[in-house]
Amino acid sequence: MHQSSPFANATNLQSGAGSSSSNAGRATAGSGPAPISQSPEAPKLRVTDLPDVDEPSAWPAENDEMRIDEPDELPPAGLFDGVQVFPGDGLPMETRPLIGALEPMATLRAEYENGSQSFVKQIDWLMDQGWIGIRRTRGDGDCFYRSLAFAYIEQILNATEPQLAALKALSILDQMPSQLKAVGFQELVFEDFHDAFADLIKAVVEPRVDGRLLTISSLLKAFNEPETSNSVVMYLRLLASAHIKGNPDSYAGFLLHPETAESMDPESFCNNFVEAFGKEADHVQINALSSMLKVNINVAYLDGHDPNGRVSYVKFQDAAEDPDTEPVNLLYRPGHYDILDRRSEDPIPLLLE
Amino acid sequence: MAVSSRRLQKELMDIKKEGTPVGIELLKADDFSKWILSVEVLGDTVYKGEKFALMFRFDNQYPISAPAVQFVVDDKWSAPEHPICASILGSEWSPVLSVVSVCVTIQSMLASCKVCPCLTAHTRAALLTGRGFSSA
Repeated sequence: MHQSSPFANATNLQSGAGSSSSNAGRATAGSGPAPISQSPEAPKLRVTDLPDVDEPSAWPAENDEMRIDEPDELPPAGLFDGVQVFPGDGLPMETRPLIGALEPMATLRAEYENGSQSFVKQIDWLMDQGWIGIRRTRGDGDCFYRSLAFAYIEQILNATEPQLAALKALSILDQMPSQLKAVGFQELVFEDFHDAFADLIKAVVEPRVDGRLLTISSLLKAFNEPETSNSVVMYLRLLASAHIKGNPDSYAGFLLHPETAESMDPESFCNNFVEAFGKEADHVQINALSSMLKVNINVAYLDGHDPNGRVSYVKFQDAAEDPDTEPVNLLYRPGHYDILDRRSEDPIPLLLE
Repeated sequence: MAVSSRRLQKELMDIKKEGTPVGIELLKADDFSKWILSVEVLGDTVYKGEKFALMFRFDNQYPISAPAVQFVVDDKWSAPEHPICASILGSEWSPVLSVVSVCVTIQSMLASCKVCPCLTAHTRAALLTGRGFSSA
């Protein structure tokens, strides 16, 4: 594993995209839908600084290093202050599903049509790249963890050999309890959460109590039951925390207070910003989970900053390229994560169940 | 079994097997909705030797949701509301914490004299007269 080098390479992480996203997040997350009152400031990227992402249907090929696409060119925190960039789907936060059915990207586009044209351009660009679907999550501060968990299991279900992919995931999960204990978590604190997550993956291979194997439909149902869904979110939080606490040298200098940007020690960073519910994830937590679960995570940044409407990707590459499974693809808008998809609706069997 | 009962059962077993930290005692845990523990302040502080009873109430989302914790004033435990102003019981609650670890935090809060404002002289007096819980 590249525990220190990929992170050390990402020196601009917190000064650029990292701090910008977390601060913008405070400004917009959970505030619910509101009309766009003004467009974001003119984008500041120079054309020559654009990431080289011309390939129409694939993420740029990469090795197993985390790569940051020009985050130092993103505007500083504060750009979003007072600017509503997250119109949402018109529902109050608490009535939105924890995680929704797949919907066409065009519906997201429609929400921005009367507002920020730079977002519309970027959505068009994503659709041209084949990202025609979006699965939304509730903007409750847990959206990154919930999106990742869902997409991680969905990616197992969609693998060419789902059973094999499930067994592989389970063998990785089997190593987690000892890592959690090694950084001081009591077994009673994590085992129920571990089981909640592992049981869903086991259900790809063995029928659940209802006698059926996991389907996209039952996965969606499970993720909308608060008990299961929040247990899974908590488990991912614990895993991220364990990686940070277990590899303090790799994270030294990156554990910054999201508001004050003061440097923090791993213990208090994790206690306050990883293990507590509703605390948003940033690069540090994403990197930690990519490492723990050995899953590649691509995050597309829909931020309205690019004059040509392109979208920057941040890639967290901690797993070897696996021909059977796709990386997890997430869409970031300031303060919120959803799941990107190449399909615009869930597969037909969902309708029959 | 609800997630809260499952977790509290484990915490109870852990207390029975491992015991509680010095100065902390489980007084009452008849069900999975309300527990009473006592916390004795250690060290040389204004509260030295004082013993406070804490009531924990759990909803069925515990430990995902924080327990409601308050000081108990008399032996009928019909305490007026004295919610404890510890950030770990609010926005910084995490399921990583347990009943015992909350008691330890409150114990050290009291020991370092970082007393929450709700613990006024009046409350303290009431708490002191309310001592003498037994675990019977």
